Amino acid sequence: MKKVKVLNQICIELHHMIINHPLLGPRDAAEFVYLGDASLINRPDASGDNAAQTFYQYLYLRDNPAGEHKELWYHEQGDRSWLVVTRNTLTHEISNVEMARDVARAAGGST
Amino acid sequence: MSNFNFVPQPVLGDFKHESKGVSIVEQTKLAIVSVACPNDGDEALVASVQNAFACSLPDVSSVEVSNSGPYNGNVRWLGLQPQQWFVLFEQSAEQSAPLTVIKDQLGDTAYCTDQSDSWVSLEVSGPLAINALERICPIDLHLAVFPVGTVARTSMEHLSVIITRTGEDQFLMMSAASSADSFLHAITQSVRNITA
Amino acid sequence: MTQTNRIDGGLINRNQSYSFKFNNETMHGYGGDTLASALIANGIKLVGRSFKYHRPRGIMSAGAEEANAMVQLRTGAYTEPNTRATVAELFDGLEAKSQNHRGPLGFDVMAANDYLSPFLSAGFYYKTFMWPKAFWEKFYEPVIRASAGLGALSGQDDPDQYDKGFLHCDLLIIGAGPSGLAAALAAGRAGARVILADEDFVMGGRLNYETHTVEDRQGSTWAEVATAELYQMENVRMMTRTTVYGSYDHGIFGALERCTDHLFDGSGKPRQILWRIYSKQSLLCAGSTERSIAFGNNDRPGIMLAGAVRGYVNRYGVTPGKRVSIFTNNDDGWRTAIDLKAKGLDVTAVIDTRSIPVPYNVPNTATVMGCRVIDTAGRKGVHTLMLSSGQTIKTDCLAVSGGWSPNVHLTCHQRGRPTWDKKQACFVPGGELPVGMSVAGAANGNMTLQSALSAGHDGANAILNSLGINPTNTSAPRASEESSNITAFWHVAESKSRAWVDLQNDVTTKDIGQSFREGFKSVEHLKRYTTLGMATDQGKTANVLGLAIMAEYSGNTIEQTGTTIFRPPYTPIPMGALAGRARGKDFRPFRLTPSHKFAEERNAAFVETGMWLRAQWYPIAGETHWRESCDREVRATRESVGVCDVTTLGKIDIQGRDAAAFLDRVYANTFGTLAVGKVRYGLMLREDGIVMDDGTTARMGEHHFVMTTTTANAVSVFRHMEFCRQCLWPDMDVHLISATEQWAQYAVAGPNSRKTLQNLVDKEFDISNDAFPFMACGEITVAGGIPARLFRISFSGELAYEIAVPTRYGDSMIRALMQAGKEYNITPYGTEALGVMRIEKGHAAGNELCGTTTAANLGLGMMVSKKKDCIGNVLSQREGLNPDKPLQLVGFKPVDADISLSAGAHFVSKGREVNMANDEGWMTSVAYSPILNCSIGLGLIADGKNRMGEVVTAANPLKQSNIDVEIVSAHFVDPDGDRLRV
Repeated sequence: MKKVKVLNQICIELHHMIINHPLLGPRDAAEFVYLGDASLINRPDASGDNAAQTFYQYLYLRDNPAGEHKELWYHEQGDRSWLVVTRNTLTHEISNVEMARDVARAAGGST
Repeated sequence: MSNFNFVPQPVLGDFKHESKGVSIVEQTKLAIVSVACPNDGDEALVASVQNAFACSLPDVSSVEVSNSGPYNGNVRWLGLQPQQWFVLFEQSAEQSAPLTVIKDQLGDTAYCTDQSDSWVSLEVSGPLAINALERICPIDLHLAVFPVGTVARTSMEHLSVIITRTGEDQFLMMSAASSADSFLHAITQSVRNITA
Repeated sequence: MTQTNRIDGGLINRNQSYSFKFNNETMHGYGGDTLASALIANGIKLVGRSFKYHRPRGIMSAGAEEANAMVQLRTGAYTEPNTRATVAELFDGLEAKSQNHRGPLGFDVMAANDYLSPFLSAGFYYKTFMWPKAFWEKFYEPVIRASAGLGALSGQDDPDQYDKGFLHCDLLIIGAGPSGLAAALAAGRAGARVILADEDFVMGGRLNYETHTVEDRQGSTWAEVATAELYQMENVRMMTRTTVYGSYDHGIFGALERCTDHLFDGSGKPRQILWRIYSKQSLLCAGSTERSIAFGNNDRPGIMLAGAVRGYVNRYGVTPGKRVSIFTNNDDGWRTAIDLKAKGLDVTAVIDTRSIPVPYNVPNTATVMGCRVIDTAGRKGVHTLMLSSGQTIKTDCLAVSGGWSPNVHLTCHQRGRPTWDKKQACFVPGGELPVGMSVAGAANGNMTLQSALSAGHDGANAILNSLGINPTNTSAPRASEESSNITAFWHVAESKSRAWVDLQNDVTTKDIGQSFREGFKSVEHLKRYTTLGMATDQGKTANVLGLAIMAEYSGNTIEQTGTTIFRPPYTPIPMGALAGRARGKDFRPFRLTPSHKFAEERNAAFVETGMWLRAQWYPIAGETHWRESCDREVRATRESVGVCDVTTLGKIDIQGRDAAAFLDRVYANTFGTLAVGKVRYGLMLREDGIVMDDGTTARMGEHHFVMTTTTANAVSVFRHMEFCRQCLWPDMDVHLISATEQWAQYAVAGPNSRKTLQNLVDKEFDISNDAFPFMACGEITVAGGIPARLFRISFSGELAYEIAVPTRYGDSMIRALMQAGKEYNITPYGTEALGVMRIEKGHAAGNELCGTTTAANLGLGMMVSKKKDCIGNVLSQREGLNPDKPLQLVGFKPVDADISLSAGAHFVSKGREVNMANDEGWMTSVAYSPILNCSIGLGLIADGKNRMGEVVTAANPLKQSNIDVEIVSAHFVDPDGDRLRV
């Protein structure tokens, strides 16, 4: 898939959607703040030899799928959980919502 | 040293309002302490809460009322977010500071922070309360969906609000103390709009 | 005026007589009338002028689709233009005026446009008025706009209140016609949470306009009984006067409820409510809309839709004509003849385009099959029809039926695209419908009453099953059967006169032909070139006709031609309703500081910083300009002592075994080494190496820190730290909670600040310089036991403290501080003085932390620890952020001390031309320093630290000023920081 370069992490507020929070059930998307691609969870090792390169890729290069996209949403007007939401960018269908902390642990993030 | 006059001010000056079907009463004596559970400390915290308050720790969006312990058991635990609760009880002049009371009970099984001054608390009750709240509250307050003993944190009129159902037509609503005037306006305007 | 066209019957309340005014003439109607039915009752035919040609126009429909009868309702500040008379409920005292004419409605001087029509055809905007170019803005456009204007706004503030709200349901039923009522009964009886919404003020939809029977009762009676049953159900919310105008993602709908539009005086209630409805499932029962046929001069007053004509007779007891004719391509059109005859009205002729046997026997009426109306006569009201057979017919009302178009709009608000049903000659819902939506009744092409009732009932039962609710054991209501045959017929080809397709935008069949010839063949191009289907009615009666005619020109099928995209709203939504309560001071919430009352008492000026209102300066007697107040506050603070409310700074309570390690990750500098009881300045980077925020963090205990953030970034820093804690280092034991609101915090600054505090702090706490040095912090008590936190930090550069007490004591605290510092003439200062002092001291703030600056730019590069990983560390080292001569924060003084500097000015080396190529940086902050007695500035300039003493040009091309400024240290006051430590 083609990588696109993002200029920065943009926080936007989307309306007229519902996110089915794993702990709280359906909540209006207006309660959430959007961050971006869920790959932001995978912060590289800063001590690696080519850290500059891996951090550049981590921060600036993203997939831009027409279809299912895993993305980070923050329940700012709610329980302050970060969520990984799998949303279809063509239909807005949300097929999965996970606690980002669980995703991060599963991905090997620890302390 | 001169004498200084330190008078605690209720956020909304002890606000009370009664209208057809809805009453709004500021809760001026509510102590609020946030309790966070240390990582891997769940068992210890559950035990200390059980020991001191004879109640279990509620899940997020649930409320547990203690059965005994300090404040004659009139302590409510609100599950607000993973690993974090608000403990609510009525503050009395005789007892020590809320934070001290809770810390004394829980010891090092929890991280505690006083939140008593951070919030304005209003009890909104009456048969028309739910009609007024549907003008500002995006959460479904239907009794079957949001029963007594449920708590939710959401946004109303751009303000962060913690809403707890304390009775069939009775709600405890908490919002940031600094925007108390706007919060009160949001609620009284809703009442006016349904009763005018 | 008398109600010349009022007849017997109808669903109106004749005991409730209303008086109203149309164009200042007093008329009468009844409860249950619309303005349109009341106008018809009073014999009014001419109600407005058309948009472009100012043609005389009358009422053409009986519903939301009305394209002609646009009126200005009410007067003064309450006036509302472009309302449809057909949906405006009559009330006693209603005032309405016709629109879009100069001079009286009957003699509109702008009607000359009609004779200029050869110059005003499709695309005239783009072609006719091209030359001379300069004329466009000054002459052509204003004139065209004025002549094509619809109604007028009052120019005053809208005096009405509006509200918003949120509703939840298992099933939202949109439309309370036969299918909607049948569905609501089925779902309501089964116990589902149902919302039934209808735009009309009476439930029943077409049942109220027709003479069909349901369950052996008159249809409208059945609807009344069903409605009464539904009102009794606690689980069903009945919403009349409510238009569901838009379908959004995940079962969310927008709806507008009109609460007081039907009342003379709303008695303070919100006029309208904009609802957001969250539904698990929805059933669209929006019915269908009749369309016309295009023939010569088909826009004359008295030419109406056939369903509307019988609708006025059946529901409102008014007849639009005394000698009515009918022109149809389908069986349904004949019902108008049958219903009117049943009321004893005179039906002159039925003209049917189809060459088939007469479908109904209508006595004493000419029935002409296989024939077309080719032209009409009667400028202010039709009086003669010319038929393709050569006959002429005298008539005063022509009821036209070109077939019915299902109201598919809401099925298309996401990805649905309707499909063409050739047999019924209409578009039906197709493609991917919105999540959870089903469609029933005429909206789904169930064109007979029985099929609509069954579809509603069965549709609801299917939804109940999907929701896990057991349907009750009932069957669909029974209705009389009817025929609904149609043969598509769009326009009368032999008409020589203009034949209207879109009445609201004056689009004719010729315009569509021209659009085709000029290459605008796709429906989307057709719409934009001719304006077909635009404006308030969004082409409800015109679109299908227009695209069918385009299909004919292009030789494509209607299916291939397709429709334009339907978008919300279904009918117009007033701007006031979209704004809701968010007007004036209620536009957004505001936050007040603990000293707000104190500041108000002292007549402070307030400034909005985010949602906070902060005291900007405190004027005293004799001060007439803010600078006088600000300069005095600065001097008083630097010379003795000042106090400022700094509660607005974000405070985050951080606890956990890993709290120190966590801070080492989120701050660029180190916190693990900070001793308990000490405060440290912290610099926070974004992952891209740019500075995010700064502040001080105090260590209250081994595992307990209190962080302060800037006022502006309090929310975003908290969000960022939650991201770090949950997503990056999920197993770190660290817990965050905001404590911004918990503490009322005051900066007490100046050489006498300690002495002031010593008057207030309880004696057991030693705050002498030795016991409580610079950057110390601790928990203390004041005034005999009031708990407090004391921090020895300084933003002003003076000996200074910040002291915090629980917010409930915030008001007492500012007054106590004033008392404690009275002997030192303690002076409250606002954000202006705060800003001046931080510039004098050279502290970076919002203007410098602007999202483009690095730590190195701000002279804080040394703080970015190379020994540890932290957010932003790696990328802060990249080449692009570390040029040979980086921008560096330095101070600037005007060479001529009398000149004022301006922020935003760009620096150019002396003698070089002022242009982008020579740009070396910019001035970030400026202030007048009452200490240095001149204007001073902070700014970023390339290699600034190595250019001390150099004079450069500060260029401000917007003000056309070039000022010589000297590069100096950013620390104008006490560069060595001696004052902080005394």
